[in-house]
Amino acid sequence: MRERFSVFSLFEIITIVITVIVISFTSVLIVAIVLKGLPYLGQAFYSEEVQFAVKMSLFTASISTIICMALAIPTAYALTRTAFPFKKLCQMMIELPLSMPYLVLGLSLLIIFSSDFGKALKELGFKVVFDKNGIIIAQTVVNLPYVVRFIRTAFEEVDERLEFISGSLGAAKWERFITITLPLSKNAIITTIILAWSRGLGEFGATLMLVGATRMKTETLTTSVYLNLATGDTGASMASATIILIISLISLFLTNWIGRKNPQESRMKDVNR
Amino acid sequence: MINTMVEIKDYSIKLGTFQLNNINLNIREKEIFAVLGRTGSGKTVLLESVAGFYRKFSGEVCIQGKPVVKIPLERRQIGFVYQDFGLFHHMSVYENITYGLKIQRKDKAYKKEMADKMAEILSIGDILNQYPGTLSGGERQRTALARALILNPKLLLMDEPFSSLDPATKEMMYQQIKEIHKLFGCTILFVTHDFNEAQIMADRIGIMVKGELRGVRKSTDLFKNCQDQEVNQFLLGRYEKGGAVHERVCFAG
Repeated sequence: MRERFSVFSLFEIITIVITVIVISFTSVLIVAIVLKGLPYLGQAFYSEEVQFAVKMSLFTASISTIICMALAIPTAYALTRTAFPFKKLCQMMIELPLSMPYLVLGLSLLIIFSSDFGKALKELGFKVVFDKNGIIIAQTVVNLPYVVRFIRTAFEEVDERLEFISGSLGAAKWERFITITLPLSKNAIITTIILAWSRGLGEFGATLMLVGATRMKTETLTTSVYLNLATGDTGASMASATIILIISLISLFLTNWIGRKNPQESRMKDVNR
Repeated sequence: MINTMVEIKDYSIKLGTFQLNNINLNIREKEIFAVLGRTGSGKTVLLESVAGFYRKFSGEVCIQGKPVVKIPLERRQIGFVYQDFGLFHHMSVYENITYGLKIQRKDKAYKKEMADKMAEILSIGDILNQYPGTLSGGERQRTALARALILNPKLLLMDEPFSSLDPATKEMMYQQIKEIHKLFGCTILFVTHDFNEAQIMADRIGIMVKGELRGVRKSTDLFKNCQDQEVNQFLLGRYEKGGAVHERVCFAG
């Protein structure tokens, strides 16, 4: 044991000390929420409002994740596998919202959907402002640039020579995509789905601007934290925060578990065993 | 009459700082042709150009008289075996071999029959259920060959196919590829830096130096002197460094 510790250099000791500080800071944040929220958790689960917020969050996050993936996969393919004019510029436009505050994104959405276009949509039966549709749209807009970027990176990492070989074996472009590109990006895609879903659950800024914070109408878990805190109900607020924390932990666990899973058999694995 | 399988006319391509210059070459049907050159001489780029990998170039590359880039990749009927064999790692050996048949929507029984036939020819019957990550170099190469040959391509392109094999496996593969050539009757174009390999395998050999095809010789005439000093230096196993010519210890020839 002593030998093991003696091999640490000063540089390594400094990095370990900094890591301990980071871990302590994060742990304090988590413990603060858990300690404050746990006593109210049981009560919160029976609360109609919290149940509504949980259902609303799970529903909107799931739908927005599906929309994000449906839009991001073809977009990432076009950006990585096709040659169209102004591709770099398009890529920058798609990823621009990554550096924009969500509140500003929400404001843009509010301007769009409060305009004549939004009113026309409302008349057609698709209400966005102050409606759950707005939550889905806000989550989609916030998550889409991330999802496109993750999937694009995953596609870029797939060796294009394999797709070329697949083509030389008779596969059309869509068949190369389905049989080679997608399966080889599978882990990254699943991880992206989980991350997009968790980020959807935690979205607040853009949602607040577009649909406001109305109890039992546009109330997600994050909105519930905000509303209860604003009305002085710290316990209920902490309980909602704890539920978000539990869901985040589960998705983080799933992400790591999928990341560690390696479907490819390797000789090295046998050697290392 | 001997037909031409591959015809390259005034072909030039620039890839970053590297350039292939004015390549002219005819490869006959059912011929085994080797492109011989040092690392970085442009052999692989030439091979990929024949496969139609690149779009921006000058000149023309034709397969059986048709410009290769105008034939959709899936209809070119070429088999390509990369140096690292390019196996699909998420598929078993069986799935790799039958990939082309799956794309052609062939039924299970036919796929099984053809896979068994290829497995017998290439002696890989015992590894059909394994994944590429668990295979040795020779097994990977034979899997890649089986995958390409199962569709009976008219042109088989191989990028330094023997470079990662041990001497004994190499010798065995030389014989096996010659037998495959007899059996399938396809034209084979492969690139190598190994004189011995080129002479054993090929009918004719093209010599690449600095992105240029400096000559095409019968494999029996490979070491004949010519007026191109760089070709002579390459064949004699010498290399230039800082203007001076140095002898190179050559194990390959």
